Amino acid sequence: MASHTSWVFRSVGRINVAGIRLQGSMSRMTYSTEVSADSSNGNKDFQERGGRGPIIRRPRRESGEPRTEKMAVDQDWTAVYPAAASFNPNSVPLPVRMGYPVKRGVPPEKRGNLELIKIPNFLHLTPAAIKKHCEALKPFCTEWPSALDSDAKCDEHFPIKMESTDYVSAGPSVRNPSARIIHLRVKLSSLNLDEHARKKMLKLVGDRYNKKTDILTIRTDSCPLRRQNQDYAMYLLTVLYHESWKTEAWEAEKTVADMEEYSWEDSPSQKKILDVLVRMKVAGEGEGEEVREQLLGRKEVQEYKDSVTRLKNEGGSESAMLQYKEAVKKVLNL
Amino acid sequence: MAASMYLRRELCSLARIFNEISHSGLRVLGAGSAHRKCSIIRPHLPVTASTSFHTASVFLSAPSSITVTEEPDTLFQRVSLLVKGHDKAVLDSYEFFATMAAEELGININKVYEPTKDIDRLTVLKSVHIFKKHRVQYEMRTHYRCIELSHLTGSTVQVYLEYIQRNLPEGVAMEVTKTAIEKVPDHILKPMWEDNPVEDKPSQ
Repeated sequence: MASHTSWVFRSVGRINVAGIRLQGSMSRMTYSTEVSADSSNGNKDFQERGGRGPIIRRPRRESGEPRTEKMAVDQDWTAVYPAAASFNPNSVPLPVRMGYPVKRGVPPEKRGNLELIKIPNFLHLTPAAIKKHCEALKPFCTEWPSALDSDAKCDEHFPIKMESTDYVSAGPSVRNPSARIIHLRVKLSSLNLDEHARKKMLKLVGDRYNKKTDILTIRTDSCPLRRQNQDYAMYLLTVLYHESWKTEAWEAEKTVADMEEYSWEDSPSQKKILDVLVRMKVAGEGEGEEVREQLLGRKEVQEYKDSVTRLKNEGGSESAMLQYKEAVKKVLNL
Repeated sequence: MAASMYLRRELCSLARIFNEISHSGLRVLGAGSAHRKCSIIRPHLPVTASTSFHTASVFLSAPSSITVTEEPDTLFQRVSLLVKGHDKAVLDSYEFFATMAAEELGININKVYEPTKDIDRLTVLKSVHIFKKHRVQYEMRTHYRCIELSHLTGSTVQVYLEYIQRNLPEGVAMEVTKTAIEKVPDHILKPMWEDNPVEDKPSQ
């Protein structure tokens, strides 16, 4: 009798809970809620589980209505999601659907939806929350000095720029060895250098100088820490500066091949044009130094000199070639 | 209530970090590095904002006190944030968050743009043994988003970056490139050979 009532109770419980899938579950004991007091049943369980005892199943509690029903429309959302948390369908009062729909269907709803739980959500960073956070962070920020409102002024007062990179990522280690690299950029025009010092600095530095923007870039990565690399870069700049002001004894042996710019004086071009003009007897009869100097003072010769210098220094361009052509025509009276 | 608790906790952690940073900063000064002569640099500055905050706050139930130190703030001409992730929608939301936070804190945003995505493709054999003609291809897409800010002080950069990085979503990486600007240090203003003329030594 007791067994019959207990069985009936169990099946009634099943009808309430299992719903449509009742037919399938009759044979399975999945929703049995009662620990049966029957001795026969107890013995069977005992033998099945090899002496461990009957399976204790806690009574299944019904879940109440979701919290979303009780939420007011004008509630404080920052209190519902104050920190990053995964999506909870009973806490978010939005009818969100996510996932790939089956044929002739819609994306699955939010209840039991793994896609919504997997993707990072920004429910804790709504505009209201951001405003609150920034209000609290404002006192820790400082203002940019108002006098430095343009890049040009920054360059004028603070010519040295140190560039460094930080890396944030998830992985077995928080550190990234590329974070120690420093790029130091300076405009050479902002340093106190004279002509000789500037040329020597360019020779010392080589590839690190960009002629178009007049910026010297020193990249340091030889030390393991960023602070060390910063100090090393400043040290390199200091050494370069002071060494370029020094004049060594062997610098007097600088040849024409070492010159950075082309200079027309005492060049083969000057000799040639003077020879040609003397042979053409432009200045009248006479040989010797005075004739050459007189020729040098002439306007056409000066123009020729300018055009040749420009071609050699700047390379071949349309306007430079045209200028050279005009100068040659004038000098040779063509 | 929960929101205020969260804010307090964040302030507390920020405070702890700022405490550490300020201690390490002062220690560096104490070590006597020649490059950071703060007191001399000051008079040259024609700028109006002379107070600089390097903050540390002791937080109890009382409101936090902000300490102002004498060390001048570093100035950053450019700060460039590059965020990388596999999901474009996540980067969109993060960009909205970062730009809004920057506006609220009064930071100039130069530009926000999206570099083209990178796709890494990989082709492997489908089967463990033989069947060379049947392969399987995988690809990894990395989307980028770049936010460039300009004209920030050191304190603001620390506050903003800590806030942004603590709220970085999972699966997203970030690279921050900062360009700090400095004055020409004293030892480069003029060559030292004027004061100590160099003796004739054979150059190495």
